[in-house]
Amino acid sequence: MVTDTLIYGRGGDANALDPIHTDIGESVKVIVNIFEPLVAYDDETLDLVPGLAESWETSDDGLEWTFKLRPDVKFHDGTHLDAEAVVFTFQRILDPDHPHVHSNIIPYYSSYSQIENIEAVDDLTVKFTLKQPQATFLANIAMFPSGIVSPTAVKKYGADFTRHPVGTGPFQFVHWKPKQEIVLSRFDDYWGEPVGIERVVFLPSEESSIRVTQLKRGEIHIADNLPPSEVDGLEKTPGVVVQSTPGINIGYLTMQTQKPPLDKPEVRQAVGYAIDRDRLIEVAYAGHAQKAKSMVPPTLWGHSDDVPEKEFDPEKAKQLLQEASQKYGFELPLKLELFVMDQPRPYMQQPRQTAIFIKDALEKVGFQIEIITNDIGQHFQRMTRGEHQLGLSGWSADIADPHNFLHTLLHSENINEIGGNNLSQYKNEEVDKLLDAAQFELDQEKRTQLYKQAQQLISEDAPVLPLVHVPVRIAQRDFVEGYKLHPSSQVRLKSARIAEQ
Amino acid sequence: MLIQRLAQAVVTMLIAVLAIFVAVRVLPANPVIAQFGQHAVPEKIEKEMEERGWNKPLWQQAITFVGQMAQGNLGESFARPGEKISSRLGQAVPATLELTFAAMLIAIPVGVFVGTIAALWRNAWPDWISMAIALLGVSIPVFFLAICLIVAFPLMPTGYRLPPGTQHQLHTEFYFFEALLTGQFQLAAVSARHLVLPAIALSTIPLAVVSRVTRNSMLEVLDADYLRTARAKGASLLRMIVRHAFPNASLSVLNIVGFQLGMLLSGAILTETVFNWPGLGRYVVDAIRDYDYAVVQACALVLAGLFVTLNLTLDVLFLVFDPRLREGNRS
Repeated sequence: MVTDTLIYGRGGDANALDPIHTDIGESVKVIVNIFEPLVAYDDETLDLVPGLAESWETSDDGLEWTFKLRPDVKFHDGTHLDAEAVVFTFQRILDPDHPHVHSNIIPYYSSYSQIENIEAVDDLTVKFTLKQPQATFLANIAMFPSGIVSPTAVKKYGADFTRHPVGTGPFQFVHWKPKQEIVLSRFDDYWGEPVGIERVVFLPSEESSIRVTQLKRGEIHIADNLPPSEVDGLEKTPGVVVQSTPGINIGYLTMQTQKPPLDKPEVRQAVGYAIDRDRLIEVAYAGHAQKAKSMVPPTLWGHSDDVPEKEFDPEKAKQLLQEASQKYGFELPLKLELFVMDQPRPYMQQPRQTAIFIKDALEKVGFQIEIITNDIGQHFQRMTRGEHQLGLSGWSADIADPHNFLHTLLHSENINEIGGNNLSQYKNEEVDKLLDAAQFELDQEKRTQLYKQAQQLISEDAPVLPLVHVPVRIAQRDFVEGYKLHPSSQVRLKSARIAEQ
Repeated sequence: MLIQRLAQAVVTMLIAVLAIFVAVRVLPANPVIAQFGQHAVPEKIEKEMEERGWNKPLWQQAITFVGQMAQGNLGESFARPGEKISSRLGQAVPATLELTFAAMLIAIPVGVFVGTIAALWRNAWPDWISMAIALLGVSIPVFFLAICLIVAFPLMPTGYRLPPGTQHQLHTEFYFFEALLTGQFQLAAVSARHLVLPAIALSTIPLAVVSRVTRNSMLEVLDADYLRTARAKGASLLRMIVRHAFPNASLSVLNIVGFQLGMLLSGAILTETVFNWPGLGRYVVDAIRDYDYAVVQACALVLAGLFVTLNLTLDVLFLVFDPRLREGNRS
């Protein structure tokens, strides 16, 4: 079978294809093939490399960033990329009353709120002015929401642009039948390396067991987001190969630090010693996960290896809990509620099994655990309101920067009832100061030191128990060549090819 | 009579509209906050709440809602920015109808056949076998059956309405019917191939019910005095079944088919999920999962509307087919 169409099977459909209006992974998979930002990730690493911008420079105070655009880049509608298009793209994110924005849902709005002004210096030069220096600025610019859109197309389609996306990427949009398929075709005027496949079809298929069957039959060529045991099975299937890359994510157990009894550090420490995470990885991840030491994954710079490893030590847990019960006067077994979501996440592939494992482990050292299962939306909403005591949670990186883990998940600024991601409601002024300093520091060496200090303090306070970092694994037919999983989890299909058989 | 039924239908719809409105409002999650997810910005949420009218008193919202529904304005999706619900329904409803129709096309003839055989050989082995099949049909979970079918027929497509990336010249979402009617026979065949497995999966429950009902009403008719008379006069068995038993049994079957159609429309959810069939069932399940309340409301209304229309149609059909009802009306 020789075919020039690649069929990509995944668990769900996109919700929007306008880069600014979504944070759904299934949308992002499509968007990154249609749109390109000024700055891109290297093909194999998380290093930032030129994208639509050939080069850039920063003023000494870190407030002005000037980007030189690549000449002769065309949008899919035939218009040319120029500085005005870049200005237009960012104004759509920043200006709440922009005439060409038709929805209030701009998930990454706050990632760009440090931008004071953006102007076109000449046809191919753009200057950003920031309110204050921001270490993550360049990484934010490399995120998918800042993919450059064609102003002509945005104006032409209006509210429908999200269903008729036009960018400069290697693939152009053909059609989208919701819940059926999204079809892209090769963009022949692409400025970069020629693209190897004629067409891409993104197929949603919710049932992972069906995706496995489809892959085995060759109905789809790539299947992502499969349970670990299914991937293990596919690894042995002739004609199918499995790819794996470390993910930038963390699965963790959050502990509500503002509510007794978890406001006592001893109790939180006891939880940490009671759980055998090596065994958990066997039970709930079929062995395919890495034990987490800190909230920052080891694949990311800024990860601290000096944080003391919390070894599995049930005797120590018992002892800590005994002492705490005498000191603070509470009875054993200590009753706690454990919140768990009803659906898997990349970092929490089998939430129910994980919860049962943790319940079992904790009950052996003197806790009594009640598991509370909520559907995924309710689960996170109830935890942002702080209703839990213990809760399963996790995070996949938006940008490859420790700020995205430590600040987002543990800075006191991020405690609020709507979307506050500091689920432990952890407040430590010293940690806050370190994280703030790291955010405005531009020297990466110094930032690394600041983040390492913060990780040390966080480990001592134990508002969270880091559980695992989970690799990204996909299964594909062996005739799909050149497609490499990217550590950012971005699905970049431009280098994929279908071999003749 | 007909006018009375119509009035009843309108009242039923109005009650349904209000019930759906209240049901959605008492659910615990705030749909607006849910849409913003992990990257919420309070000011943006407030703006959205205001634009959507979600911060107004409930009675004001109810009036606006009923007004919009009355104009046929189903609104926009929350989870898919800018998507008109009516346009998605325009795709989902035909997909479900086509699947439901295909399922009934299997269920009714096969069910009637099995039921008739069972009635004719009452309490003998054909009866036992067919009733065992019927029992299996109602008790086997659709979901499980669907996966079994996929495994059992490795050469049949596992789902979707057409092969991925198919380019076609169809203007409606009734793929099979339109392809057939416009003479695109190859496309019709492909689309039919994709219909087969989901239709079989969906047909088992109505097939079982239809066969049981056929068997019972056949037995009743076969025992009736007039048939014994006909038999005594020397009428052949075939003639008796076709001329006398069928028309009488068909009323109960019609009744149950109507009821099952309603069940099918809502029951297609599981089948649609396994076979990736982009119909109403999946649309509403996804909407519930995404807290897309505007869509849940609209789908619930469409389902209610379909039920009401279906019942109305059945009532009319009964009036046409059953002379007793008309006589009763005249007296």
